Amino acid sequence: MSEPILKLEAVGFDYGRLTVIDGLDLRVDRGELVVCVGPSGCGKSTLLALLGGHIEPTRGKIERKGQSRTIYQDGGLFPWLTVRQNIDRGLPRGTEPAARSKKVDEWLEITRLAEFANHYTHQLSGGMRQRVELARALAAETDILLLDEPFSALDYQTRTRMRKELVATLAERPRTVVFVTHDIEEAVQLGDRVLVLGSRPANVRRVLELPPGRIRPPAAAGVAEAEQAIMEELGLS
Amino acid sequence: MKFLLPILTGLVLLAIWWIAYEAGAFPTGTVPSPPAVAAAFGEEIASGRLLDDTIASLYRVAWGFITAVLAGVPLGLVIGRSIATREALLPWVNFFRSLSPIAWIPFGIIWFGVGDPPAIFIIFLATFFQIVLATAAASATVPKVFYRVALDMSLTPAQVLFHITLPAIMPQLVTALRVAIGVAWMVVVAAEMIAVRSGLGFLIIDARNGLRMDLVVCGMITIGAIGIGLDIAFSRLAKIPSVRWGFER
Repeated sequence: MSEPILKLEAVGFDYGRLTVIDGLDLRVDRGELVVCVGPSGCGKSTLLALLGGHIEPTRGKIERKGQSRTIYQDGGLFPWLTVRQNIDRGLPRGTEPAARSKKVDEWLEITRLAEFANHYTHQLSGGMRQRVELARALAAETDILLLDEPFSALDYQTRTRMRKELVATLAERPRTVVFVTHDIEEAVQLGDRVLVLGSRPANVRRVLELPPGRIRPPAAAGVAEAEQAIMEELGLS
Repeated sequence: MKFLLPILTGLVLLAIWWIAYEAGAFPTGTVPSPPAVAAAFGEEIASGRLLDDTIASLYRVAWGFITAVLAGVPLGLVIGRSIATREALLPWVNFFRSLSPIAWIPFGIIWFGVGDPPAIFIIFLATFFQIVLATAAASATVPKVFYRVALDMSLTPAQVLFHITLPAIMPQLVTALRVAIGVAWMVVVAAEMIAVRSGLGFLIIDARNGLRMDLVVCGMITIGAIGIGLDIAFSRLAKIPSVRWGFER
């Protein structure tokens, strides 16, 4: 049996009197890519904040083995730094200057951003900014990567390309990933497992295991059925 | 064109002034002629008094402004980042900000006597509360996501301050400082009209007492020109690459 790297037991979270998450159980194994889908405002981002240790649960227990980095939909990059400096800032503290420079160059190459290394983030397109986010998060070499609707602000073409880049990068540098999205197609293309979250308070209403392989084409076995099951669970069909 | 248009405007204004003066539009002794002002400039420059007065005023503005920044930015950061401190102090910052710095002149003289200190004190008060408010407003609106990223990066509180909060508020702070230096320069004239015997404010009040309106205008033109110079210098801060993002987005 695989080793759990994230484990939530009966976790609940309240914002004042509002219960956002209640009785949530979740286990994520090392190397897995788990996608959480759910309606807007159901508490998906709160779940990631809990997983990242940015907020503490009101109830229940969270076990996290290792460090995490979060990639946000937009605005997580520091606009006063260049692309190079942003990636450098993501590297673990204590990394030697020569090693830092080498690592940053490596990630600039992987994410095809070398020629934009000295650009500021507001000088980049949305897709390029997301690649910088990805490079900064992955350069940290943490065990867990948390993605909060990272591609939702991008146009369809860029979003499709970014999914491929994420998968290619993960193939090269594997991580445990929890990916939150409201895009059903994205969920079934990427996830090893898809968790369908219910409306607030969020809890897991259904878990769908998908056949191996990332990215799954629409015609791949089990994809259409999974999409249909998610839509039914969310009351969309 | 950037410099040509303002110079042309200035020449037009000068021509209007000169024509009006020659046409006898001003009662005798109320407005000097442009040649009289030019002569007063020559006299003040040759004697070295204009330079001495300018240096004296800049010295007071520098002290008042720098102490206001050193005290105001940290207090603004605390007010911006702590809800309890904000609730406790913000109404009082607004209260004191509403008071004209001129109202503090009697206290300035009683507390600090005569000379530079009361003038510096008045300039400090004129800019301090503005800087506190601007810093508090800027730091309260730093996106939370930056602090979450900082948490992921395990930054220490000092690193969060120097690597996140300060760079994030810098564009707004630079704008606030640009406004504040303009206010400081305006206030120095009023501050020098009391308790000191040097500076451009003193030059104006002394010239008025001697009915030398040519010298009054000479002082006014110098103050305006230095005001433009200070504004240009502070606007250059917005061109620093790590600050420019706030003005380009």
